[in-house]
Amino acid sequence: MSAPTTAAVAAPRSTGRRVNWRRYRLLAIGGSLAALTLLSALFAHVIAPYSPYDLNVAEMLQGPSGAHWLGTDELGRDVLSRTIYAARISVEVAVVAVSVGLLGGTIIGIVSAYFGGLVDLALMRLMELLFSFPAILLAIVLMASLGTSILNAMVAIGIIFIPGFSRLARASTQAVLRQQYVEAARTVGMGDLRILVREILPNVIAPLLVEAAVAFAYAVLLESARSFLGLGAQPPEPSWGNMLNTGRGFMARDPWLGIVPGMAMFLCVLGFNLLGDGLRDLFDPHLRD
Amino acid sequence: MIRLILIRLLAFISTLIAASIVLFIAINVVPGSAARAALGIDATPQAIMRFEAMNGLNRPLHVQYLDWLRKALTGDFGTSFQNRVPVGPELLKRLPITLELAVLAFLIANLIAIPLGTAAAFFHQEGPDSLITLAATILGAIPNFWLATLLVLAFTLKLHLLPAGGYAPFFDNPGRNLEHMIMPAASLGLVSSALLLRIMRTTMIEVLGSDYIRTALAKGAPRGVVIVRHALKNALIPFLTVGAVEFGFLFGGVVIIEDIFLLPGIGSLVLVGIINRDYPVLLGAALVVTIAVLTANMLVDIVASVLDPRQVHSRAGR
Repeated sequence: MSAPTTAAVAAPRSTGRRVNWRRYRLLAIGGSLAALTLLSALFAHVIAPYSPYDLNVAEMLQGPSGAHWLGTDELGRDVLSRTIYAARISVEVAVVAVSVGLLGGTIIGIVSAYFGGLVDLALMRLMELLFSFPAILLAIVLMASLGTSILNAMVAIGIIFIPGFSRLARASTQAVLRQQYVEAARTVGMGDLRILVREILPNVIAPLLVEAAVAFAYAVLLESARSFLGLGAQPPEPSWGNMLNTGRGFMARDPWLGIVPGMAMFLCVLGFNLLGDGLRDLFDPHLRD
Repeated sequence: MIRLILIRLLAFISTLIAASIVLFIAINVVPGSAARAALGIDATPQAIMRFEAMNGLNRPLHVQYLDWLRKALTGDFGTSFQNRVPVGPELLKRLPITLELAVLAFLIANLIAIPLGTAAAFFHQEGPDSLITLAATILGAIPNFWLATLLVLAFTLKLHLLPAGGYAPFFDNPGRNLEHMIMPAASLGLVSSALLLRIMRTTMIEVLGSDYIRTALAKGAPRGVVIVRHALKNALIPFLTVGAVEFGFLFGGVVIIEDIFLLPGIGSLVLVGIINRDYPVLLGAALVVTIAVLTANMLVDIVASVLDPRQVHSRAGR
C-alpha cells in the first residue's frame, strides 16, 4: 500500500463528512474549469460561432449583443470566438512544457534519491542553481536566445519546471525507499531499473500530479505573459496575452476588450490551481490544512 | 554566527558565478544571432563577420566568458550593441527604480498576508477563515499584468486619480513618485500576497495549536498579546524563508509590470535587451536581477538564523 493511502486511512473520522464534501468541491470546480479550457482548445472549430480571423470592419468595436455575445474587436472579429481559439496556444504550450518538466524532473529526482551519494549531490546542486533564478527571467532569456517560436517557448518553460519536479520526486522517492516492500524487492533479486519502474514510480506519482496541475497553470501564465510582451504568438493568431495587449489600447471606450481575455486566463489558472488543491486533498488529507 | 555568515557568503558567491555561466550560455546558445539582430535580416556574411570580430564574438565561448567576468568584476559590463552606451552606468541608474518597485510590492504583499493570514488561522474553519482563504485563492489566480490593466481602467481611465505610467524620482518629488509607483507595486504585491497569506495561515495554525500558546492562554494572558508577542514571532521564521522565494518571483514580474507602466527600471531593460538581442545589456540586466534575488535569500537565511538559533547548526552542517 502506498504512503498516501495509509495517510487517508489514518485521517480523523470526526471531521470526515465535512472534509469529504470540501475535498470533492475543490476537485469539481477546478476540474470543470480545467475541462472547459481543454475542451475549448480541442473543439474550438466546433464551439466557436465565428472564425477567429474573419474581419468585418462594419461591425468593429461593438459591445456584447445577441449576434456577438462578447462583442467585436477593433477589426470587427468576434471576441468570443477568438477567446475560445486562444485556448489552443495556451494548452499546447502548457501540455508540452509540463511534460518536459515532469519527465525531466521525475527522472532526475528518482535517480538522485535512489543512487544517493555523489550522483545526488551533483544533480541537486544543479537543480538548486536553476532554482536560484527568477523562473520568468530564465524563461525569457532562454526564449530570447533560442528564438520566440512556440516550440522554443515550450522547451524554455519546461526547463524551468524541472527543478521543482525533481525536488518533489527526490523527496517522495526517499520516503518510498524506507518502505519494506522496496527492501523485499531487493531481497528477491530485482534489478535497479525494475525496482525504479515497478516499485518506486507508481508510489511517487501522486504528489507529482498535484505539482503538474499547478505547473500547468503557471505555464499558461508564462505563455500569456510572453504573448502580452509581443514575444509570443503574433497577430492575427489569437492568444489571451496578445488579445489583452491589443485590447488595453481600446479600454477607455471598450473595456470588455481588456476584460474578456484576462478573465479567460484567470478562469483557466484558477481551474488548474483548484484542481491541484483538490488532487492534493484527495491523495493526502493530512496536507489539507 | 560569523561562521554561518561566511558559509552563506561563500555559497552566495559560488552560486552567483555558476548563475552567470548559465546565463552566459543561455544567451549565447545560438551563434550569430546577435549580429543578425543588430545588422538586420539582410546583413551580408562579411558584415556579420566584421561585427563579430569587432565585438569579440568570434572567440571560443569560454574565452568570451572569462573576458566578460574579468571586466564585470571591475564594474565594466561592456557596451550596448545597439547604441554603444556603457551598460554598467545604465544599470546603476535603473536599479533604484526596480528596487523601489520590488520593495514596495513586497511591503504591500506582507501588509495583506500577515494580518489576514493570522486572522484566518485564529478563526480556523470558521466563517472568516473560509472568506479569507477564498479571497486568497482568487487573488492568486489573477495574472499580475491583467490586474495592472484593470487598475489602470479603474484608477486612470474611470476615476482619473492616478497617472497611467511614467516615473518621477523619489528625491525630486516623493508625492508624485508614489503616485507613479502605487499601481505597479499593487499589481505585483496583491498577487504575491495570496501565496504568502496561505503560508502565514498554515504556519500560524500550527503555532496556535502548540503547547506554549495554550499554556499562555490558560494562564489568562490577553489573546492579542499572545498572538502578537508569542505566536507571530515564531510563525514569522518559516514565513520569512518562503517570503524570500516569493521576493524572487516578484522580481521576475518586474519585466512585464515596468513595461506596462513605462517605468525605466532594470525589468524594462531586460525587455529592450531581448527585443534588440542586445546581449551585453541583457546579460547585465539579468545578472542584476539574479544578484538581487540571491541577496534577498542570503539575508533571510541569516535573519532566520538569528531569530531561531537552532537553525544555525542544521544549516551549517549541510
